[in-house]
Amino acid sequence: MKPGRLAWWLVIWVVGLFYLIPMLSMTRFAFQRIPVIKLSFNNVFSKWTIEPLLTTFSDSGFRSSAMLSIWLAIATAVLTLLLLVPTMTIAHLRSPRMRRVIEISAVLPFVVPAIALVVGFAGAFRDTIPQLIRSPFGMVPLYVITALPFTHRTLENGLASLDLRTLIDASRSLGASWIRTVLFVIVPNMRASIATASFLALTVVLGEFTIASLLLKNTLPLYLAYAQGQNPQGSFAVGLVLVVLSAGFVTAANRFGKRVVS
Amino acid sequence: MAGSFKSRARHFIYLPYLIFLSVFLVWPGIYVFRAAFEKNSAERHPMVEAVTGQYRASFIYSLELSAVSAAIGLFIGSLVAIAIVRLENVRVLRSLVVGYSSVAANMGGIPLAFAFLSAFGMQGLATRLLREINIDLIGWGFRITDFWGIVLVYLYFQIPLMTLILVPAIDGLRRTWHEVAQSLGATANQYWRFVALPILTPALLGGFLLLIANAFAAYATAFALSSGGSRLVPVQIRFFLQGETITGKTNLGYAMAAWMVLLTLVLVIGFQTLVRRSERWRQ
Amino acid sequence: MSGNLSFNDVTKKFGTTIALDSFSVHVNEGELVTLLGPSGCGKSTALRVAAGFEAPDIGDVRLGTNSVLGLPANKRGLGIVFQNYSLFPHLTVLENLEFGMRVRRVSKLRRSARVAELLDLVRLVGLAERFPHQLSGGQQQRVALARALAVEPQALLLDEPLSALDATVRLEVREEIRRIQRDSGIATLFVTHDQEEAMAISDQVCVMNSGKVEQVGAPKTIYRFPSTPFVARFVGRVNDLEVEILKPGVARLVGHAQEFTVPATSGIRGVARVLLRPEDVRIASQDDTGTLKGIVKTLHFGGATTAAEISVLGTDHVVRMSDSTRAINCEVGDNIEFVFDTERCLVTAATH
Repeated sequence: MKPGRLAWWLVIWVVGLFYLIPMLSMTRFAFQRIPVIKLSFNNVFSKWTIEPLLTTFSDSGFRSSAMLSIWLAIATAVLTLLLLVPTMTIAHLRSPRMRRVIEISAVLPFVVPAIALVVGFAGAFRDTIPQLIRSPFGMVPLYVITALPFTHRTLENGLASLDLRTLIDASRSLGASWIRTVLFVIVPNMRASIATASFLALTVVLGEFTIASLLLKNTLPLYLAYAQGQNPQGSFAVGLVLVVLSAGFVTAANRFGKRVVS
Repeated sequence: MAGSFKSRARHFIYLPYLIFLSVFLVWPGIYVFRAAFEKNSAERHPMVEAVTGQYRASFIYSLELSAVSAAIGLFIGSLVAIAIVRLENVRVLRSLVVGYSSVAANMGGIPLAFAFLSAFGMQGLATRLLREINIDLIGWGFRITDFWGIVLVYLYFQIPLMTLILVPAIDGLRRTWHEVAQSLGATANQYWRFVALPILTPALLGGFLLLIANAFAAYATAFALSSGGSRLVPVQIRFFLQGETITGKTNLGYAMAAWMVLLTLVLVIGFQTLVRRSERWRQ
Repeated sequence: MSGNLSFNDVTKKFGTTIALDSFSVHVNEGELVTLLGPSGCGKSTALRVAAGFEAPDIGDVRLGTNSVLGLPANKRGLGIVFQNYSLFPHLTVLENLEFGMRVRRVSKLRRSARVAELLDLVRLVGLAERFPHQLSGGQQQRVALARALAVEPQALLLDEPLSALDATVRLEVREEIRRIQRDSGIATLFVTHDQEEAMAISDQVCVMNSGKVEQVGAPKTIYRFPSTPFVARFVGRVNDLEVEILKPGVARLVGHAQEFTVPATSGIRGVARVLLRPEDVRIASQDDTGTLKGIVKTLHFGGATTAAEISVLGTDHVVRMSDSTRAINCEVGDNIEFVFDTERCLVTAATH
């Protein structure tokens, strides 16, 4: 092997270890009942248990926050699609200028960090629509905004890869109504990018901490942060589940995303 | 008449989206600034106080953390991107690294903090393993909750993010550019200096900006690492503005948030100008 | 100062596939030699070996009298033009042209003088400040050509330089390349899979197949006197007829009684194939002997010339004929008599 290649392999191995070690450590901590100090070659494989996970799963606090996070994630994905798909499709068809406006507005959340967004939100609605701050579902719009740069990009790529005009003309000339055209022609052709955008929205909501923390809503990440003290093993185990889950979502999004491009 | 009505009616289609953004993004943004500039009883203007004394230190700490983690992330992430292109003949390597990078780049928040606590904390597995080979992190004063500790944690998403940004850009370098450069007499160094680097510059600059902003806004990880007490700006803001509690210094919290927006804005505009200039050949 | 470029018995393998198999070709000063062949025949590999991007397993590549194998690609002094996108996108036309001189630290004064000369040569004066994406495909290739010439290379290597261009632009750039090559007298190796292009531009054509040279010769020779069945089939159109060789020099179509003469070949007996150009088939006149009868199946009117497909009566054979429109005055469905002019046809064993 040439020395140059060896150096590049070294880079891969070092970074690979850096990626791997924290995850392995978390797994070990969560599922092995041996403190690090007492760990040795003789007991590496003993006292492994999934009990911490099971105990946490049966905890009512966990259940309610997990359910809340799941519902928030679903609501965010749905609201994102309802808001973006029709608007972006029509902008694509009719107005390049509007398309540009949407494109620029979609990266705005990038300039307003989540912490600034949520304190502004709380201040703005505390006196006008306090229900929005009291109900956990008031956070859904903020999640939609936080995920917007990613979801918009995905849908934009999906739309750009379609020859929308021709599809619609073909469908309309065959006598389909507008509603039929949207439901049976446009949406199926955008399935991949819609799926990708949804997965991205789910990932963002399941991991998001700032917004819920400022509004004191008991989502899963908040539960983890506070359960860390009394039930470290359990909360680390759930943290790991969350990692695996969002890894799954991201990978699924990538898979679909590739289909968008090809 | 009918035509003009129709063309106007078209624009109503965009209204839900535009109203949504105005209500949930623009209005909160404006509110932050309005509250930040509202004079209260304190002698100093909140916008001034937010960047004085301990709060100034807070901003500097946050920015340093972002810049350092972004710079290291840029460097190592680029190395990884080049490595997988150089080792192209190993097919699985690319999909493996890119696949995991997209997972890791999205990681953050509480679970990441847990992972690093269990690896590099006082009782961490990596800490223990390193001690076995006589690298005593704790003895050397390394703490996962300190500046360099947080940098290390941030690298977990900064490195893969940079890799993801750079891989497509490196793929965009055509083999024939290298070959033509060679045939015209350029050495490997000259090729990198005069061809590859200038073509990659927009991606590198854009990536660096994304990494800085990414770290600047990050909050959850540092929060969980330090059990709530930290010098990061977002954590300070939370202290003043959490929930519906009134601390009497709410304006200061808003002022810090306003500064965060302003700083991010300056970063974005600054980098955008640089990127524009570095890719004037594209327009 | 251009030297000549020669390949001497070059062999190059990629794993188990042989890209070049004892490949030998000489490009003399002032000459344009085309490597012609289907994709995967090794023609691009030959160019890449000459350029220094690939090292041969066996054999030698020489510029003038010196072997270049010891030299890295950036010391060989060869100009290269690729099929597509080989201009540096971040540099203007001017900067692209200057690139080779800049890395050789040529003084600014001489650089500007040379660039002006080159812009004039490829007729792009006034476009110096444009970026590549602001140019048409044809203009880009002309810049690429000028850039390759900027460092006064010893030989020019062109890898399918016209393949990405539109039909009309392709002709224009083709003429441009030929003109510049003639004026500068530089030894040029031109790689293409397009036989018409090869015929039009070359002094010598080298037809390649699976890493081997099939035939080297002037375009006309290659076309009129193909030395192997592969060349006959690859260059131009050909009637590929199944025949029986009755004795050396006498053949007849399988299933047909009429005998006709073919060039005598030793060793081929029984069933064989005759490769015959369409223009070597013509409508019989009254003094012809050995005529065949057939029905005109199709007519393709091509202006000055017309092509016809004739199905030979009593057999499955279909013969393609091409002649001046004046000579072919028949209609589809007509019964006609025709003859083969077989002195230039190629007789080959049935399996080839």
